[in-house]
Amino acid sequence: MSEPTPPPSGAQPPPPAGAQSPPPAGAPVPPPAGAQPRPAATQPAPTPPAPGPAGAETEPRRRLHPLSPLLRGLRYLLLAIAAISWQGFRSLGPERWAMAVAAAAVLALVASLVSYLVTGYHVVGRELRVYEGLFFRRTRAIPVERLQSVELVQPVLARLFGLAELRLEVVGGAQTEAPLAYLTREEATALRRRLLDLAAAGRAAAPAVPSGVTAPGPADQAVRPAPAGAPVGAAAPAADVAGPSERLVHIVNNRDLFISQLLRPQWWLLPVAVAVPIIDALMDGQLGFFGIASTVTGVIGAISAPVRVLLGDWRFTLAQAADGLRIRRGLLETRSSTVPEGRIQSVLVEWPLLWRAYGWVRANMHVAGVRVEQQQQGRSSLLPVGTVDVAQEVVATALPGVVLRDIVIRPVPDRAKWFAPLRRRVLGYQLGPAAFASRDGLLTRRLMLVPYGRIQSVRIRQGPLQRRLRLATVYVDVAGGGQPGVAHHLDVAEARALALALAEYSRAARRSTAPATSPSAGPVDGAPESGPPASGAAESGTAATGASEPATREPATPEPGVSAPHASGPGAPGPDADGGSGRPEAPAGS
Amino acid sequence: MTVFSIWPDDVVWRRVSPRLYWLTIFVRAVWLLVLGIAAAIGWYVFEEPLAPIVAGALAGLTLIRLVFVLRGIRSWGYAERADDLLVRHGLLFRRLSVVPYGRMQFVDVTAGPLERLFGLATVQLHTAAAASDARIPGLPPEEAARLRDRLAALGEARAAGL
Repeated sequence: MSEPTPPPSGAQPPPPAGAQSPPPAGAPVPPPAGAQPRPAATQPAPTPPAPGPAGAETEPRRRLHPLSPLLRGLRYLLLAIAAISWQGFRSLGPERWAMAVAAAAVLALVASLVSYLVTGYHVVGRELRVYEGLFFRRTRAIPVERLQSVELVQPVLARLFGLAELRLEVVGGAQTEAPLAYLTREEATALRRRLLDLAAAGRAAAPAVPSGVTAPGPADQAVRPAPAGAPVGAAAPAADVAGPSERLVHIVNNRDLFISQLLRPQWWLLPVAVAVPIIDALMDGQLGFFGIASTVTGVIGAISAPVRVLLGDWRFTLAQAADGLRIRRGLLETRSSTVPEGRIQSVLVEWPLLWRAYGWVRANMHVAGVRVEQQQQGRSSLLPVGTVDVAQEVVATALPGVVLRDIVIRPVPDRAKWFAPLRRRVLGYQLGPAAFASRDGLLTRRLMLVPYGRIQSVRIRQGPLQRRLRLATVYVDVAGGGQPGVAHHLDVAEARALALALAEYSRAARRSTAPATSPSAGPVDGAPESGPPASGAAESGTAATGASEPATREPATPEPGVSAPHASGPGAPGPDADGGSGRPEAPAGS
Repeated sequence: MTVFSIWPDDVVWRRVSPRLYWLTIFVRAVWLLVLGIAAAIGWYVFEEPLAPIVAGALAGLTLIRLVFVLRGIRSWGYAERADDLLVRHGLLFRRLSVVPYGRMQFVDVTAGPLERLFGLATVQLHTAAAASDARIPGLPPEEAARLRDRLAALGEARAAGL
């Protein structure tokens, strides 16, 4: 697989010359993107600091797996057949239809073959280079520092052959940068580990952090031993699922997933989608092709979202590896994505109305640059369904220092009722120890968590009516097109103080991110203390159902302790809002 | 003490150049002129009786809007604090942006032909979040350049990327 690629790349300027570093390194990449970033690094034994590939000279370019043209061609072919059949079957007649399909097949195969022949990749120094294109040749260099997440996807067919696609996400790309389809599973895994190792080695001065506990400074007293500790034990039995170096956080129960997806409002449309064409048919007296087609379309449209979640999040497994958060999921098409630590821009925890009987919540995260197919407001799933206990654990893993149950929402003033008569009781925010939390949503309650270190900017807006009522709304912006965290209708003084405090915390959190590893090693020690959330791996929802209801309420009800917010000075909404743990990171970091 | 404004009052707000008023007026005046010419053509050439009425209505709206815009100009302000830039704006809909220097990705200084005519420039800060909105119009070029250089320097010193 690592042959120097003579036939096609004769056309290619880059480095067919094989493994010698000096001559190709200087001249290798005519397209600008590749050579610019760190030409120095490519040349002389490029990676002195990198741990893994010691002798990484300019290594030979690698090909994708030989079967990939076939598999990719098949995809296009199916599309082409569908397109041909849609219009043509009747007008063409079976013979000519077969010919058209055959022609499409040949075309697809040739195109995929060519793309296979001209596509290659290798790691140079601290970046991955991907070469593609026949006429418009493109060399893309992706520095590992910029990786936002790495995903390993195995569609059904590829899975049969043990192949996988590797998708690298960086900020700013219009779509997935450098999808490598397909590699063998082992190759893909190895490449992923290599890239992530490189990235981790480059990050700050702490390459040896074992379990990714590099919490932003404030985490020290906030991370409770219990949630983090329990699953350490649980990881052992599930070692076949999780890799050896991973800490299993949670496996979503498939039964829960199924029930929860049945409890989504989309199903209510189903009777309508079925009934309308049938009634239509009854009126007409016959059930024509059109009626059937529209029934099918309607049904698919109605239930596609929950079904997609069901297929996509089947056997959802969340683990914490040394190189970041690892998520495995999928029934037919399996995906395994890795989000390096600190790449999660925000987390949204939702309590859908219909799930409240079970005490279930779901959690999504926003990672800059990731475009999720199965879109839930542009976020990737962090926990498709689970009890609050599980969510607490998951959130604590994703955002170190955030304890879901400790979040006590600070309510908005009464006069907000003029804007949100019902929502007023839901609205509110908290300046937590590690993240800003804001709550909204009457039917589906949404709790948005933005870690201080990820805040890009803060805005206040105030409309004319709000001004009359001395209210204002605060927006907390995160990178990469994520939704902002929004605290609606705060008292003006509070909003102002909040905005400035957030800017201040964000600065402090950033400053303390790098050196703050040591104090937060706490959670791991807590292993013996396996509290109630120990059920993490095997629980089936029943155990915690009773307990979760108050928890959903807990953030929901304005705590008595906070009910005197207006008295508190505008300068310090944080400290008194969450019981003294408000502003730890400002001094802690520096 | 009750606080009425979302804009902090314990910082030094810098205002935009008064030339921005003239620019705004100039743009509106040109628009009114065009409107007048169009109305005249409509009236004399096409003998359309509605032309002056429509034009008059549009002119009236323009003038009303001009008053608001002019009053709004006074509300523009920015303050360079130790670690972040504050930008305020708005009369009816008020807004305040707080952008930490360390989050800045790049700074734009733009000056369109009309702005240049009046010796003005616009500075805009960009962060990784598209929603961050820190635009300051109506700065004299020297001030814009100074601000840009200072922001760039501070941003470098406090850089934190994503």
